[in-house]
This record gives sequence, C-alpha cells and structure tokens, in this order.
Amino acid sequence: MSEEMLELTVDKFTFRVPKSLYFNDAGIWVRPEGSVARLGLSDFAQQRSGDMAFAEVKPVETLLKPGDEFASIETIKVNVILPSPVTGAIAEINRALEDAPELINQDPYGKGWLAVVELTDWEADKAKLLDADAYYALVKEQAEEEMKKK
Amino acid sequence: MSKVVIVPCSGIGKSYGTVAREGAYVVAEDLRPDTTQLIPLSLLVLGDEQARADVSGAQAITIDGCKLACATKMVAESGGTVAHDLAVLDVYRRHRNLKPAGIAELNEGGQQLAQALAEEVATLVDEMTGEVKNA
Repeated sequence: MSEEMLELTVDKFTFRVPKSLYFNDAGIWVRPEGSVARLGLSDFAQQRSGDMAFAEVKPVETLLKPGDEFASIETIKVNVILPSPVTGAIAEINRALEDAPELINQDPYGKGWLAVVELTDWEADKAKLLDADAYYALVKEQAEEEMKKK
Repeated sequence: MSKVVIVPCSGIGKSYGTVAREGAYVVAEDLRPDTTQLIPLSLLVLGDEQARADVSGAQAITIDGCKLACATKMVAESGGTVAHDLAVLDVYRRHRNLKPAGIAELNEGGQQLAQALAEEVATLVDEMTGEVKNA
C-alpha cells in the first residue's frame, strides 16, 4: 500500500513526509492503528542521523508518557535518545532491528518501524503532535539551517 | 596465484573511512604482505591504466566506509571481481566496544577496530589463496 507523501528537496537531499502520520519535534512518527499506534523515525531524522549501527527499543510493557525515552539509536555519526510521542505501554517491538538496524535507513515508514504502543490518552497526545504539514515546515526549517552550516 | 587485490574506501573526513584504510594497510603491510596488493580507490576513479589493469580480472576484497560502497562499485566498473565486500559498519557491529572516533588520527577504539577488520580480511585472503596461517 503506498502512502501519499509530501516531499521536500534541499540541495541533494529529498525528505519524505507521509500525509497520514503525526510527529513529535524529535522526528518520531506516529501511525494510529485503532487502540494502538506504531512508532518510527522519520525520513529526515534517519537521514540526518546517518547509517544505523544499533537500534534498541525499551521492552514490551514499558510505560511511557510523552518525552520518555522509548528507544535509542547509535549511528556512524551520533548516539540519540528517542522520546516517546505518546502515552501508553509498549505492546510490541521490531525484533528485526536487532539484526538489521539498517532497515530504519532503508524503509523508515515501513519495515524500519520501532515499536507499537497501546494508547491510553491518544486524544490529548494528538493535540500536542505535529501533523504532516506542520512537520514538513519544521523539516524545511531544520534542513535549511543545516545547509547554512556547510 | 596472483595476489588478492585490496581496495579500501578513499573517503576523507569520516572515522569509518579512516578505519577502512588503516585496516587495509595492516593487511597489506603486516599480516599478508606476500599475498595481497593494495590498490588506491582514487586511481580507479581517475581511470589510471596500471591500477585498472591490476584490478581487471583479479579477485578483490573491498572495504567500504559507508553505504555508498564506492570501493565495491569501482572495482566492478574496473573489470575486477569482488570476491568479498566488507563494510566497516558491519565490523563495528561485531565489536561494539570499539567505537571509532577521530579522522586523521583514530582513537584507541578505532585503531583496534582497524586491527579487527584487518584480521577478518586476512582470514578471507587465506581462504582465497588456499593458505592456512595463524592470524
């Protein structure tokens, strides 16, 4: 199933933002799926972070509120703590990332997902998240800022 | 048998590229000097005739510093056979305690990672040449 995407090209880089997802400002995407939500790292965030060396997600049943660490990544450039965008408990983690963290780089909105969370306060969480248009604007601002540094 | 060609990443400004090159030097100069030949990637990119002749038809081990895999691509484009393509990131995944840092001069972890990489390459060279040595 293909998702409708917003696309932003800055210099030689193109960043994709699915229209149906929500995001926090750290670049964690949220895909609501009934009473749960799937989480992952945005295309912009994975490109900015670099090639993944390791990805570790907190165990199933870990309780989260927005801002809590739910995963961490180590790339060739940086170590990053990933803050949860939602409230709830981790219901499932992507075991494939243990052997193939590069899935986050290769397919950030698909096979590179990080965790599924059982939602407990979605309406309140959603109100604090960015929709695709707002996240696109943030990516544009941050990407252009990065280019000025080069 | 002709020597095994080793072609490492030539990228600059990245620790993983430096690890690729340092590891290649260890193989070609210390571990398997008699059975390997180091070819600079930059010469292949420039189309240097001698470098292309050395690679053409040879069995090669490439060592890439990032997913662009320039070394692997250039050996293939130069007519060589990539017998094994190693990525520094994969070697690091097998040695997580050896986090590389530094560019012109690698930190201790980077130097040890280069040594671990070199030993993996030396083992592959031995398999290719049919020789058994203690690494």
